[in-house]
Amino acid sequence: MRRNNWICSGSRLPWRLSASLALTLAVAAVAAASSSFLLVQDASPEKIPSYVSWTPETMAAASRGDAFRGMLLARHCDHCHGAEGFSSTATTPNLAGIGRLTIWKQLEDFRTHKRESRPMNAIAESLSLRDQADLVAYYAKLPVFYDPDDKRIFPQPRPDPAKAAIASRLVSFGDGERGIPPCQACHGPVAYRPGAPSLATQNPEYILDQLEAFAKRTRANDINMPMRAVTAQLSEPERHALAEYYGAGLGLEPASSTAPK
Amino acid sequence: MNWRKLRTFLITVLVLALIPATRYYQIDVPLLRFLRGSHRVDPLSLHLAGEFVENNLGTEQDPDGSVTVRMVAQQYLFVPQCIVVPAGIPVHLRITSADAVHSLTLNGTDYAVKVLPGTISEAQLQFPHPGEYKMPCREFCGAGHYAMRSELKVVPRDQFPALRPGERGSCAAQ
Repeated sequence: MRRNNWICSGSRLPWRLSASLALTLAVAAVAAASSSFLLVQDASPEKIPSYVSWTPETMAAASRGDAFRGMLLARHCDHCHGAEGFSSTATTPNLAGIGRLTIWKQLEDFRTHKRESRPMNAIAESLSLRDQADLVAYYAKLPVFYDPDDKRIFPQPRPDPAKAAIASRLVSFGDGERGIPPCQACHGPVAYRPGAPSLATQNPEYILDQLEAFAKRTRANDINMPMRAVTAQLSEPERHALAEYYGAGLGLEPASSTAPK
Repeated sequence: MNWRKLRTFLITVLVLALIPATRYYQIDVPLLRFLRGSHRVDPLSLHLAGEFVENNLGTEQDPDGSVTVRMVAQQYLFVPQCIVVPAGIPVHLRITSADAVHSLTLNGTDYAVKVLPGTISEAQLQFPHPGEYKMPCREFCGAGHYAMRSELKVVPRDQFPALRPGERGSCAAQ
Protein backbone atom coordinates (compact mmCIF):
# COMPACT_ATOMS: atom_id res chain seq x y z
CA MET A 1 0.00 0.00 0.00
CA ARG A 2 2.60 2.48 1.13
CA ARG A 3 4.72 2.27 -1.98
CA ASN A 4 2.11 3.85 -4.26
CA ASN A 5 1.15 6.66 -1.89
CA TRP A 6 3.24 9.32 -3.57
CA ILE A 7 1.36 9.01 -6.85
CA CYS A 8 -1.91 10.33 -5.52
CA SER A 9 -0.58 12.65 -2.82
CA GLY A 10 -0.38 16.41 -3.20
CA SER A 11 -2.68 18.70 -5.11
CA ARG A 12 -2.88 16.65 -8.32
CA LEU A 13 -6.33 16.21 -9.83
CA PRO A 14 -7.99 12.82 -9.46
CA TRP A 15 -7.57 10.98 -12.77
CA ARG A 16 -11.31 10.74 -13.51
CA LEU A 17 -11.69 14.50 -13.25
CA SER A 18 -8.59 15.24 -15.28
CA ALA A 19 -9.59 12.71 -17.94
CA SER A 20 -13.02 14.23 -18.40
CA LEU A 21 -11.48 17.70 -18.44
CA ALA A 22 -9.02 16.64 -21.15
CA LEU A 23 -11.86 15.09 -23.19
CA THR A 24 -13.91 18.29 -22.97
CA LEU A 25 -10.91 20.37 -24.01
CA ALA A 26 -10.16 18.04 -26.93
CA VAL A 27 -13.77 18.23 -28.18
CA ALA A 28 -13.71 22.01 -27.87
CA ALA A 29 -10.44 22.21 -29.79
CA VAL A 30 -11.78 20.02 -32.62
CA ALA A 31 -14.94 22.11 -32.82
CA ALA A 32 -12.95 25.36 -32.85
CA ALA A 33 -10.58 24.48 -35.69
CA SER A 34 -11.18 21.87 -38.37
CA SER A 35 -7.42 21.53 -38.90
CA SER A 36 -6.63 20.83 -35.26
CA PHE A 37 -3.70 18.54 -36.19
CA LEU A 38 -1.66 21.58 -37.06
CA LEU A 39 0.26 23.30 -34.30
CA VAL A 40 0.83 26.92 -35.30
CA GLN A 41 3.26 29.25 -33.55
CA ASP A 42 4.73 32.68 -34.24
CA ALA A 43 8.35 32.81 -35.37
CA SER A 44 9.03 36.17 -33.75
CA PRO A 45 10.08 37.07 -31.14
CA GLU A 46 12.47 34.16 -30.99
CA LYS A 47 12.07 31.81 -28.02
CA ILE A 48 15.32 30.98 -26.24
CA PRO A 49 15.10 27.89 -24.02
CA SER A 50 18.37 28.50 -22.19
CA TYR A 51 21.31 30.88 -22.52
CA VAL A 52 23.74 28.01 -21.97
CA SER A 53 25.46 26.56 -25.02
CA TRP A 54 28.02 23.79 -24.62
CA THR A 55 31.05 25.55 -26.05
CA PRO A 56 34.51 24.54 -24.75
CA GLU A 57 34.59 27.79 -22.73
CA THR A 58 31.31 26.92 -21.01
CA MET A 59 32.49 23.40 -20.26
CA ALA A 60 35.72 24.80 -18.79
CA ALA A 61 33.89 27.37 -16.66
CA ALA A 62 31.58 24.67 -15.27
CA SER A 63 34.44 22.24 -14.56
CA ARG A 64 37.06 24.36 -12.81
CA GLY A 65 35.36 24.46 -9.38
CA ASP A 66 36.98 23.78 -6.01
CA ALA A 67 35.13 20.95 -4.28
CA PHE A 68 36.37 21.88 -0.77
CA ARG A 69 35.06 25.44 -0.99
CA GLY A 70 31.89 23.94 -2.48
CA MET A 71 31.52 21.73 0.59
CA LEU A 72 31.54 24.80 2.84
CA LEU A 73 29.01 26.60 0.64
CA ALA A 74 26.79 23.51 0.36
CA ARG A 75 25.92 23.68 4.08
CA HIS A 76 23.26 26.24 2.99
CA CYS A 77 21.73 23.61 0.68
CA ASP A 78 21.55 20.86 3.35
CA HIS A 79 18.12 21.84 4.60
CA CYS A 80 16.37 20.87 1.35
CA HIS A 81 18.85 18.74 -0.58
CA GLY A 82 20.13 16.71 2.39
CA ALA A 83 23.49 16.69 4.16
CA GLU A 84 24.63 13.77 1.98
CA GLY A 85 23.03 15.09 -1.20
CA PHE A 86 19.93 12.92 -0.75
CA SER A 87 16.75 14.84 -0.03
CA SER A 88 14.14 13.94 2.59
CA THR A 89 11.42 15.77 0.60
CA ALA A 90 10.01 13.80 -2.34
CA THR A 91 9.67 16.80 -4.68
CA THR A 92 13.24 18.02 -4.12
CA PRO A 93 15.96 16.50 -6.30
CA ASN A 94 18.88 14.46 -5.00
CA LEU A 95 22.18 16.05 -6.01
CA ALA A 96 24.73 13.45 -4.92
CA GLY A 97 26.81 12.22 -7.83
CA ILE A 98 25.00 14.36 -10.42
CA GLY A 99 27.44 15.65 -13.05
CA ARG A 100 28.98 19.12 -12.87
CA LEU A 101 27.57 20.29 -16.18
CA THR A 102 24.02 19.27 -15.24
CA ILE A 103 23.74 21.23 -11.99
CA TRP A 104 25.71 24.12 -13.46
CA LYS A 105 23.24 24.47 -16.34
CA GLN A 106 20.24 24.36 -14.00
CA LEU A 107 21.78 27.05 -11.75
CA GLU A 108 22.38 29.20 -14.85
CA ASP A 109 18.79 28.68 -15.98
CA PHE A 110 17.44 29.49 -12.51
CA ARG A 111 19.59 32.63 -12.46
CA THR A 112 18.33 33.82 -15.85
CA HIS A 113 14.71 32.75 -15.10
CA LYS A 114 14.68 30.23 -17.94
CA ARG A 115 13.52 27.68 -15.37
CA GLU A 116 11.11 28.88 -12.70
CA SER A 117 11.31 27.75 -9.09
CA ARG A 118 10.43 30.09 -6.23
CA PRO A 119 13.33 29.26 -3.89
CA MET A 120 15.93 28.42 -6.51
CA ASN A 121 15.60 31.58 -8.65
CA ALA A 122 16.53 33.80 -5.68
CA ILE A 123 19.29 31.44 -4.48
CA ALA A 124 20.89 31.18 -7.94
CA GLU A 125 20.82 34.97 -8.32
CA SER A 126 22.80 35.30 -5.08
CA LEU A 127 25.58 32.94 -6.26
CA SER A 128 28.65 34.14 -8.12
CA LEU A 129 30.04 32.15 -11.08
CA ARG A 130 32.81 30.86 -8.80
CA ASP A 131 30.28 29.73 -6.17
CA GLN A 132 28.33 27.86 -8.86
CA ALA A 133 31.40 26.04 -10.14
CA ASP A 134 32.51 25.14 -6.59
CA LEU A 135 29.07 23.83 -5.59
CA VAL A 136 28.73 21.60 -8.62
CA ALA A 137 32.26 20.27 -8.08
CA TYR A 138 31.27 19.25 -4.53
CA TYR A 139 27.99 17.56 -5.45
CA ALA A 140 29.57 15.70 -8.36
CA LYS A 141 32.06 14.17 -5.91
CA LEU A 142 29.47 13.02 -3.34
CA PRO A 143 29.23 9.23 -3.26
CA VAL A 144 26.02 7.30 -3.89
CA PHE A 145 25.38 4.74 -1.15
CA TYR A 146 22.53 3.43 0.95
CA ASP A 147 22.21 4.89 4.45
CA PRO A 148 19.33 3.56 6.61
CA ASP A 149 19.85 6.24 9.30
CA ASP A 150 19.39 9.12 6.88
CA LYS A 151 15.80 10.27 6.29
CA ARG A 152 16.17 10.09 2.53
CA ILE A 153 13.35 9.20 0.12
CA PHE A 154 15.55 7.23 -2.28
CA PRO A 155 15.29 4.31 -2.88
CA GLN A 156 11.60 3.43 -2.84
CA PRO A 157 10.38 -0.20 -2.94
CA ARG A 158 10.44 -1.89 -6.35
CA PRO A 159 7.36 -1.37 -8.56
CA ASP A 160 5.34 -4.39 -9.63
CA PRO A 161 6.89 -6.32 -12.56
CA ALA A 162 4.31 -5.21 -15.15
CA LYS A 163 5.08 -1.53 -14.50
CA ALA A 164 8.81 -2.18 -14.37
CA ALA A 165 8.60 -3.95 -17.75
CA ILE A 166 6.93 -0.90 -19.38
CA ALA A 167 9.62 1.35 -17.96
CA SER A 168 12.61 -0.85 -18.71
CA ARG A 169 11.48 -1.19 -22.33
CA LEU A 170 11.40 2.61 -22.65
CA VAL A 171 14.68 3.00 -20.77
CA SER A 172 16.64 0.48 -22.81
CA PHE A 173 14.94 0.55 -26.23
CA GLY A 174 12.64 3.57 -26.37
CA ASP A 175 9.76 3.33 -28.82
CA GLY A 176 10.79 3.54 -32.46
CA GLU A 177 7.15 3.62 -33.60
CA ARG A 178 6.60 6.98 -31.86
CA GLY A 179 10.16 8.22 -32.23
CA ILE A 180 10.93 8.03 -28.51
CA PRO A 181 14.65 7.44 -27.98
CA PRO A 182 15.81 5.17 -25.11
CA CYS A 183 16.27 7.16 -21.89
CA GLN A 184 19.62 5.51 -21.17
CA ALA A 185 21.15 6.87 -24.38
CA CYS A 186 21.29 10.38 -22.82
CA HIS A 187 20.64 9.90 -19.07
CA GLY A 188 23.11 7.07 -18.55
CA PRO A 189 24.49 4.58 -17.91
CA VAL A 190 24.98 3.93 -21.64
CA ALA A 191 25.83 7.54 -22.55
CA TYR A 192 25.45 11.05 -21.16
CA ARG A 193 24.54 14.03 -23.28
CA PRO A 194 26.17 17.23 -21.90
CA GLY A 195 23.82 18.64 -19.28
CA ALA A 196 21.56 15.58 -19.11
CA PRO A 197 21.20 14.36 -15.52
CA SER A 198 21.82 10.85 -14.35
CA LEU A 199 18.40 9.58 -13.25
CA ALA A 200 19.52 6.44 -11.45
CA THR A 201 19.42 7.98 -7.95
CA GLN A 202 16.57 10.47 -8.35
CA ASN A 203 13.41 10.73 -6.26
CA PRO A 204 10.36 9.28 -8.06
CA GLU A 205 8.02 12.18 -7.37
CA TYR A 206 10.58 14.69 -8.60
CA ILE A 207 11.00 12.75 -11.88
CA LEU A 208 7.22 12.60 -12.32
CA ASP A 209 6.87 16.33 -11.66
CA GLN A 210 9.53 17.17 -14.25
CA LEU A 211 8.07 14.82 -16.89
CA GLU A 212 4.70 16.51 -16.46
CA ALA A 213 6.23 19.98 -16.46
CA PHE A 214 8.01 19.27 -19.75
CA ALA A 215 4.84 17.83 -21.28
CA LYS A 216 2.80 20.90 -20.25
CA ARG A 217 5.67 23.21 -21.30
CA THR A 218 5.75 24.85 -17.85
CA ARG A 219 9.40 23.82 -17.88
CA ALA A 220 11.03 24.63 -21.22
CA ASN A 221 14.79 24.92 -20.64
CA ASP A 222 15.84 21.87 -22.69
CA ILE A 223 18.13 22.95 -25.54
CA ASN A 224 16.56 22.08 -28.94
CA MET A 225 13.52 20.70 -27.05
CA PRO A 226 14.25 16.95 -26.83
CA MET A 227 12.49 16.51 -23.48
CA ARG A 228 9.40 18.46 -24.51
CA ALA A 229 9.11 16.39 -27.69
CA VAL A 230 9.51 13.07 -25.85
CA THR A 231 7.30 13.77 -22.82
CA ALA A 232 4.46 15.03 -25.04
CA GLN A 233 4.30 11.49 -26.47
CA LEU A 234 4.48 9.62 -23.17
CA SER A 235 1.19 8.44 -21.69
CA GLU A 236 0.22 8.97 -18.07
CA PRO A 237 0.91 5.32 -17.01
CA GLU A 238 4.28 5.43 -18.79
CA ARG A 239 5.33 8.54 -16.87
CA HIS A 240 4.37 6.88 -13.56
CA ALA A 241 6.16 3.67 -14.56
CA LEU A 242 9.36 5.55 -15.45
CA ALA A 243 9.31 7.53 -12.20
CA GLU A 244 8.82 4.37 -10.13
CA TYR A 245 11.50 2.51 -12.09
CA TYR A 246 14.18 5.12 -11.47
CA GLY A 247 12.92 5.91 -7.96
CA ALA A 248 13.42 2.28 -6.92
CA GLY A 249 17.07 2.37 -7.99
CA LEU A 250 16.53 0.02 -10.93
CA GLY A 251 18.43 2.45 -13.15
CA LEU A 252 21.60 1.55 -11.22
CA GLU A 253 21.54 -1.99 -12.55
CA PRO A 254 22.61 -2.81 -16.09
CA ALA A 255 19.58 -2.39 -18.31
CA SER A 256 19.99 -5.78 -19.99
CA SER A 257 19.27 -7.63 -16.72
CA THR A 258 15.90 -5.90 -16.35
CA ALA A 259 14.95 -5.84 -20.05
CA PRO A 260 11.86 -7.86 -21.00
CA LYS A 261 12.62 -11.13 -22.76
CA MET B 1 58.20 -9.05 -65.29
CA ASN B 2 55.69 -11.66 -66.31
CA TRP B 3 53.32 -10.21 -68.93
CA ARG B 4 50.33 -12.24 -67.65
CA LYS B 5 50.86 -11.03 -64.09
CA LEU B 6 51.15 -7.42 -65.24
CA ARG B 7 47.96 -7.72 -67.30
CA THR B 8 46.02 -9.16 -64.34
CA PHE B 9 47.33 -6.41 -62.11
CA LEU B 10 46.37 -3.64 -64.55
CA ILE B 11 42.87 -5.03 -65.08
CA THR B 12 42.36 -5.25 -61.32
CA VAL B 13 43.45 -1.65 -60.83
CA LEU B 14 41.20 -0.50 -63.66
CA VAL B 15 38.17 -2.30 -62.24
CA LEU B 16 38.81 -0.94 -58.76
CA ALA B 17 39.14 2.59 -60.17
CA LEU B 18 35.84 2.18 -62.05
CA ILE B 19 33.86 1.58 -58.86
CA PRO B 20 34.21 5.13 -57.44
CA ALA B 21 34.04 6.58 -60.95
CA THR B 22 30.57 5.14 -61.55
CA ARG B 23 29.35 6.42 -58.16
CA TYR B 24 30.11 10.09 -58.88
CA TYR B 25 26.46 11.00 -58.24
CA GLN B 26 26.78 9.79 -54.65
CA ILE B 27 29.43 12.39 -53.81
CA ASP B 28 28.45 13.93 -50.55
CA VAL B 29 27.02 17.39 -51.31
CA PRO B 30 26.72 18.59 -47.68
CA LEU B 31 30.25 17.37 -46.97
CA LEU B 32 31.67 19.24 -49.96
CA ARG B 33 29.70 22.30 -48.92
CA PHE B 34 31.05 22.02 -45.39
CA LEU B 35 34.63 21.75 -46.66
CA ARG B 36 34.05 24.73 -48.96
CA GLY B 37 32.82 26.72 -45.97
CA SER B 38 29.46 27.94 -47.27
CA HIS B 39 26.15 27.64 -45.39
CA ARG B 40 28.01 27.69 -42.10
CA VAL B 41 26.02 27.61 -38.87
CA ASP B 42 27.21 27.09 -35.28
CA PRO B 43 25.79 23.74 -34.09
CA LEU B 44 26.24 24.61 -30.41
CA SER B 45 24.20 27.82 -30.48
CA LEU B 46 21.31 26.91 -32.78
CA HIS B 47 18.89 27.64 -29.92
CA LEU B 48 20.24 31.12 -29.17
CA ALA B 49 19.73 33.00 -32.43
CA GLY B 50 19.33 32.62 -36.16
CA GLU B 51 17.27 30.44 -38.41
CA PHE B 52 16.95 27.36 -36.19
CA VAL B 53 15.58 28.81 -32.94
CA GLU B 54 12.83 26.56 -31.66
CA ASN B 55 9.80 28.64 -32.70
CA ASN B 56 11.13 29.09 -36.25
CA LEU B 57 11.06 25.32 -36.90
CA GLY B 58 8.28 23.73 -38.94
CA THR B 59 6.50 24.61 -42.17
CA GLU B 60 6.53 28.16 -43.49
CA GLN B 61 4.33 29.46 -46.32
CA ASP B 62 6.43 31.33 -48.88
CA PRO B 63 5.02 34.27 -50.86
CA ASP B 64 5.39 32.38 -54.18
CA GLY B 65 3.10 29.56 -53.04
CA SER B 66 5.79 27.02 -52.16
CA VAL B 67 6.59 26.03 -48.58
CA THR B 68 9.84 25.92 -46.60
CA VAL B 69 10.40 23.29 -43.89
CA ARG B 70 13.03 23.84 -41.22
CA MET B 71 14.20 21.03 -38.93
CA VAL B 72 16.95 20.31 -36.43
CA ALA B 73 18.43 16.81 -36.15
CA GLN B 74 20.00 15.85 -32.85
CA GLN B 75 20.80 12.74 -30.86
CA TYR B 76 18.25 11.08 -31.02
CA LEU B 77 15.33 12.89 -32.54
CA PHE B 78 14.30 15.25 -35.28
CA VAL B 79 12.56 18.45 -34.18
CA PRO B 80 9.71 18.89 -34.98
CA GLN B 81 8.83 15.20 -34.86
CA CYS B 82 5.93 15.61 -37.28
CA ILE B 83 5.91 17.76 -40.43
CA VAL B 84 2.86 18.77 -42.52
CA VAL B 85 3.20 19.84 -46.14
CA PRO B 86 0.61 20.29 -48.90
CA ALA B 87 0.57 17.90 -51.87
CA GLY B 88 1.73 18.99 -55.32
CA ILE B 89 3.63 22.04 -54.15
CA PRO B 90 7.44 22.50 -54.08
CA VAL B 91 8.87 21.96 -50.61
CA HIS B 92 12.22 23.49 -49.68
CA LEU B 93 13.75 21.52 -46.84
CA ARG B 94 16.40 23.17 -44.68
CA ILE B 95 17.88 21.03 -41.95
CA THR B 96 20.96 21.11 -39.75
CA SER B 97 22.40 19.01 -36.95
CA ALA B 98 23.16 20.03 -33.38
CA ASP B 99 25.65 17.26 -32.66
CA ALA B 100 26.48 14.25 -34.84
CA VAL B 101 26.07 13.30 -38.51
CA HIS B 102 22.51 12.21 -39.27
CA SER B 103 20.62 11.33 -42.42
CA LEU B 104 16.96 12.11 -42.99
CA THR B 105 15.32 9.51 -45.22
CA LEU B 106 11.74 9.26 -46.39
CA ASN B 107 10.55 5.66 -46.34
CA GLY B 108 8.98 4.70 -49.65
CA THR B 109 10.78 7.38 -51.63
CA ASP B 110 14.30 7.92 -52.99
CA TYR B 111 14.86 11.01 -50.87
CA ALA B 112 17.75 10.97 -48.40
CA VAL B 113 19.27 14.12 -46.94
CA LYS B 114 22.59 13.89 -45.16
CA VAL B 115 22.75 16.23 -42.17
CA LEU B 116 26.08 17.48 -40.86
CA PRO B 117 26.73 19.66 -37.84
CA GLY B 118 27.98 23.07 -38.89
CA THR B 119 26.27 23.28 -42.27
CA ILE B 120 22.71 23.60 -43.53
CA SER B 121 21.52 20.78 -45.79
CA GLU B 122 18.97 21.77 -48.41
CA ALA B 123 16.64 19.65 -50.52
CA GLN B 124 13.90 20.41 -53.03
CA LEU B 125 11.04 17.95 -52.63
CA GLN B 126 7.60 17.58 -54.12
CA PHE B 127 4.88 15.11 -53.20
CA PRO B 128 2.21 14.62 -55.87
CA HIS B 129 -0.20 12.63 -53.66
CA PRO B 130 -1.36 12.93 -50.05
CA GLY B 131 0.09 10.33 -47.72
CA GLU B 132 2.21 9.67 -44.70
CA TYR B 133 5.90 8.92 -44.67
CA LYS B 134 8.10 7.79 -41.85
CA MET B 135 11.39 9.66 -41.73
CA PRO B 136 14.00 7.58 -39.92
CA CYS B 137 17.66 8.46 -39.47
CA ARG B 138 19.83 6.35 -41.77
CA GLU B 139 23.27 7.38 -40.52
CA PHE B 140 24.32 5.60 -37.36
CA CYS B 141 24.47 8.40 -34.79
CA GLY B 142 24.77 6.66 -31.42
CA ALA B 143 23.03 4.49 -28.85
CA GLY B 144 19.51 5.77 -29.60
CA HIS B 145 19.86 5.77 -33.39
CA TYR B 146 17.33 2.97 -33.97
CA ALA B 147 14.51 4.94 -32.34
CA MET B 148 15.31 8.21 -34.15
CA ARG B 149 12.31 8.79 -36.32
CA SER B 150 10.14 11.64 -37.52
CA GLU B 151 6.97 11.69 -39.56
CA LEU B 152 5.84 13.56 -42.68
CA LYS B 153 2.16 14.12 -43.45
CA VAL B 154 1.31 15.20 -46.97
CA VAL B 155 -2.22 16.63 -46.96
CA PRO B 156 -4.39 17.73 -49.92
CA ARG B 157 -3.84 21.34 -50.92
CA ASP B 158 -7.28 22.51 -49.82
CA GLN B 159 -6.85 20.92 -46.37
CA PHE B 160 -3.55 22.66 -45.73
CA PRO B 161 -4.42 25.70 -43.64
CA ALA B 162 -3.30 29.13 -44.77
CA LEU B 163 -0.30 30.13 -42.70
CA ARG B 164 0.16 33.86 -42.33
CA PRO B 165 3.67 35.33 -42.79
CA GLY B 166 5.64 34.75 -39.59
CA GLU B 167 3.70 31.64 -38.63
CA ARG B 168 5.22 28.17 -38.48
CA GLY B 169 3.13 25.01 -38.53
CA SER B 170 3.84 21.42 -37.51
CA CYS B 171 1.85 18.40 -36.33
CA ALA B 172 4.14 17.62 -33.37
CA ALA B 173 2.40 16.19 -30.30
CA GLN B 174 1.36 18.77 -27.75
